[in-house]
Amino acid sequence: MRALLAVGAAVLAALVLGFPYLVNAYWLSVGVLAIFYAIVAASWALLAGYAGQFSFGHMAFVSLGAYTSGLLVVSFGVPIPLGIAAGIVMCALVGSGIGFVCLRMRGPYLALFTVAFSEVLRIVIVSENEVTGGSGGLEVPPMFHIKSDMPYYYLGLVLLGASLAIMLALVHSRWGLFFRAIRENEEAAAASGVKVVRFRIIAFAISSSFAGLAGGFFGHYIAILTPDIGSVDQMGLVVAMAVIGGAESIVAVTIGALGLEFLVEALRSYGQWRLVLFGALLLLTMRFARNGLLALGWEYAKAILPLSLWEGVGGRGRGLNMTNPSPSPRSASQPEPTRGGGVS
Amino acid sequence: MTDYLLIQALNGVVIGIIYAVIAAGLTVIFSILKVVNFAHGEVFMMGGYFAYFAISLAGVPPLPAILVAMAISFIMSIAIERTLLTPLYSPTIERKGDYGILITFGISIFLRNLALIIYGPYPLRPPSFWSGALVIGGLIMTWDRVFAGAAGILMLVGLVLFMNRTAWGEALNAVSQSRESAAIVGIDDQRFYMLAFGLGGALAGGAGALVGPIYSLSPSMGLLPDTQAFAIVILGGMGSVGGSIIAGLMIGVAESMFVALFPDPSRSLTYAQAFSLLVLMVVLLIRPTGFFGRVHTAME
Repeated sequence: MRALLAVGAAVLAALVLGFPYLVNAYWLSVGVLAIFYAIVAASWALLAGYAGQFSFGHMAFVSLGAYTSGLLVVSFGVPIPLGIAAGIVMCALVGSGIGFVCLRMRGPYLALFTVAFSEVLRIVIVSENEVTGGSGGLEVPPMFHIKSDMPYYYLGLVLLGASLAIMLALVHSRWGLFFRAIRENEEAAAASGVKVVRFRIIAFAISSSFAGLAGGFFGHYIAILTPDIGSVDQMGLVVAMAVIGGAESIVAVTIGALGLEFLVEALRSYGQWRLVLFGALLLLTMRFARNGLLALGWEYAKAILPLSLWEGVGGRGRGLNMTNPSPSPRSASQPEPTRGGGVS
Repeated sequence: MTDYLLIQALNGVVIGIIYAVIAAGLTVIFSILKVVNFAHGEVFMMGGYFAYFAISLAGVPPLPAILVAMAISFIMSIAIERTLLTPLYSPTIERKGDYGILITFGISIFLRNLALIIYGPYPLRPPSFWSGALVIGGLIMTWDRVFAGAAGILMLVGLVLFMNRTAWGEALNAVSQSRESAAIVGIDDQRFYMLAFGLGGALAGGAGALVGPIYSLSPSMGLLPDTQAFAIVILGGMGSVGGSIIAGLMIGVAESMFVALFPDPSRSLTYAQAFSLLVLMVVLLIRPTGFFGRVHTAME
């Protein structure tokens, strides 16, 4: 069984590394975009799925990172890597700022605040067209002056791999435990000694930094920035990718985002149906398989395949095993919403 | 200049009334279902199109078309509520708040993009309720706006009467205060979740039908009124219909004045959109429970 797994992993690695040689230019560019969406969706899952902070302003951070880098490079001639780094720093700063001002807000209030932030940023970018190019877009220099997308693909793979490694290390560390404690119940987490304030801000800062990184990469790949990057519809796309994959597992989200981006391009003759399809899938997933389709598929695979086959791979299922067999003690012992507490 | 400002203020009052109708629907939904409906603006948008097609396809006269739009929005909302929102009441579902956020956000994405395909991206303009304009001295106001304001006031008065003077309204109030206690006195809460969501949707759809002849209809028209309605609801206090009406008028007038007085006219329209968003952000920061909110309807 282990040998089989090793072979499987090797084939997968060969496929991923050899992907640019196997497909035409169109699918290669789809691959680059899929990698971009995977980084964005995974970092959103870190914030929403793990820390429970439902921010709908994540694409605004992507846009902030992209525009910061783009404007620095265009206006001041800063080298591109430095520009992207500045975008990441910018997103970390603004992200911790948003995390800080949102400390009193929960759930829908936070979601509303971040939607508003995202729309305000978009409107400012549209309106200040002398600086940002407005809706017409801002042309920024590409990273590589070469016709093929191949270098972008490999750079994207490295960025995705590094981001995933950092995020996975994070969520499996004590910090990840703190994030999940905050998600489940802030008061209980605080009572157990989790520094809720600090870790809510940290979650925002880290997740926004990854959004900034993805934004910088995307901007200097696509070479034209438009305010639409930060639109609510783009956010919906990312949310759909994360939820359909399974927002409570970084790996599931990544697979979901990669898979869905390819799926959508495969159905590109129905291009305008893209968001309708994603919206419908998002609704169905939320309604019937809240842990995501991958977790559902995993359970299904385990159920139909002989049990002995899975004994050797017990460890692999951990990341996806997110079913909640019983209601949490909170919902069992406290069926009523708390009254009169305001939103503090 | 004073005439211009006065006209702007009157326009602001009309828009404020329409905002208040949208916001009142949002707050009815919130106080009963305890869910912040991110898809409310899309029901508003759909309502506008329902009225448009009732007029252009079925030949309904413009004014009754408002009622048709409200009825279809009511039915659509109930269908949404029955198919997608029932997990919100189930005791075995964890983190209902998160479910509510994601599911309504998903509905909004779905409806907006579905509308984009069905209706196309180009703005449509339904015929006027009544062509021409009301002229009093130097003040000019199109009859469409006068009608929209009057119809909005009727809807709000109807809502307040319904909530306070009928048995169903009392039952809604009871469910909003405590689901369990309401169940104990024999109120079938499921029915009233349906009613509340349908009522909220009908108000949003009616508001959509009202703005149709004033602005035009487009699939993305729900985005901004949605955040504006949120700003109003939070300013006025979640669950307070009266608060929504006051806050709606405030925001409508303030926004019009903002457009009129903004120093750079080329940007005043785009920044006017940011205005209510900034109000929303500031209110959330300073007083998230709003100014007229009732304690029992505050978020958990």
